[in-house]
Amino acid sequence: MARMSSPPTIEVRGLRKVFRQTTTGQSVVAIDRLDLAIAPREVVAIVGQTGCGKSTFFDLMIGLEAPSEGAIRIGGKSPHADFDYFRGKIATVFQQDRLLPWRSALDNARLPLELIGLPDEEQRERALMWLNRLGLSQFTNAYPHELSGGMRQRVAIARAFAVGPDILLADEAFGHLDEVTAAELRNTFLELARECGSTAILITHQLEEAIGVGDRIVVFGKSATLLADIHVKRWDKSSYPLLREAIQSTLQNNRADPRLGNMP
Amino acid sequence: MNKELRESVPVLTFPRQTFVSLFVFAVVWETLSHLAPYLGIPPFAIPSFVRIARSIATITPIDIAVTLARVIAALIVSFVLGLALAMAMYRSDSLDKYLHPMIRLLMAVPVVSWILFAVLWFPGVEFRIGFVLVVVCGPVFLVDTLDAMHGVPRELRHMMQSFRPTTWQYFLKLMLPAIVPTIFTSWKINISLAIRVVTIAELVGAVTGIGHQLSVAQELFSVADVFAWTLVLVVLLFLLEAMVARAEARLLRWRA
Repeated sequence: MARMSSPPTIEVRGLRKVFRQTTTGQSVVAIDRLDLAIAPREVVAIVGQTGCGKSTFFDLMIGLEAPSEGAIRIGGKSPHADFDYFRGKIATVFQQDRLLPWRSALDNARLPLELIGLPDEEQRERALMWLNRLGLSQFTNAYPHELSGGMRQRVAIARAFAVGPDILLADEAFGHLDEVTAAELRNTFLELARECGSTAILITHQLEEAIGVGDRIVVFGKSATLLADIHVKRWDKSSYPLLREAIQSTLQNNRADPRLGNMP
Repeated sequence: MNKELRESVPVLTFPRQTFVSLFVFAVVWETLSHLAPYLGIPPFAIPSFVRIARSIATITPIDIAVTLARVIAALIVSFVLGLALAMAMYRSDSLDKYLHPMIRLLMAVPVVSWILFAVLWFPGVEFRIGFVLVVVCGPVFLVDTLDAMHGVPRELRHMMQSFRPTTWQYFLKLMLPAIVPTIFTSWKINISLAIRVVTIAELVGAVTGIGHQLSVAQELFSVADVFAWTLVLVVLLFLLEAMVARAEARLLRWRA
């Protein structure tokens, strides 16, 4: 577990999520007693194989699901039980842009601002500012179908940042884009998250993305068991290929690679 | 209206083929009206266009206005009730489970049965007609909008919920705009349905409206009058559909 100087923004203790399959009636453990602490303004990448419980963890973080056991606390409050408290404090970027097709780029970016009840003019100004920051000043009136995949994802990022969230959650947000666009957007996302002082959690299956973005990389095994918690900054950039190999081996064997323990 | 919008409204545009088929029909009708005596057809059965034109000239605008008012008022009431109930049923599974069989049952009842029930239950003519229209059109709005709500993609619902809207915001900013295309389709279906139902309802007991005038024409054995009033109904239907199509083109321009 990470040693932190300030109290964690996000604290996960003994988190367990069990689903009952509707067809068979059997219980499936999606997350099994996860402990995790994330410091303020930390950028954490969560990696894991498909079906390891990453998306369930994402839903629990958003507060759309309630834990079966244990708890998630963000600033001392539960994202599920204190759902309304987090309006405007948590923002999400999803795998697909999930823009509302009947709204222009500007109106999509201002959606969360409408929900927190900002005055119209302020909504517009803030949404325009974020669209400009993301290089979309020429496309504010365009509808989603008139934009490329990368541009749509930029609008989704603008929408997430527009409320100035304390917590940013991204679920495979760049995985469906081509490499160049994905790298560009990843850097923009990281830069903006640092600038806004947001705590960010990125869920990804791409190791390059995790290493390139995260201050920390948390490796999930089956049922979101914590296999490794890696502080990327402790690794020299020249040893990133080794780090990549070690994480890959951890994922393949479902246990921490010894090389991760030999960190400098 | 701008050029783009005008071009996107297909209703009330008459391609050459439409004119040709209408012209052929008119020629056949007119020929038959002149040949009727030689074919053993009673002279009143196929009136000439001159006779029909005379009937059209005697059409009373007040009857058109009354029927139109009945249709529009009933459609608005049906839509509001249908949408409100659909929203409630979407929110509450148990309400959905209890009401859905009832709605299906209502939709299975023939229009004529509703008219008879209305005549037996209610003394006021206007209420009878309104009741029949609402009970026929309301469930169509309800079922269509509820199905559309259930069809809103999970990804969009998930995204919206992640921003923590209030219930009202959720419906206003996601559900309602998402189901607008279905609402327009439902309006188009219901306009056609309401025009037909109101005519039948007005046949029974009403002393105004197009249905009543059709009843009078039938008593007088005037096919020309029936033809004239039917023409009015068809034009009325086209005009209402054109209005809906225009609103649809304006509100759904994001789909272009």
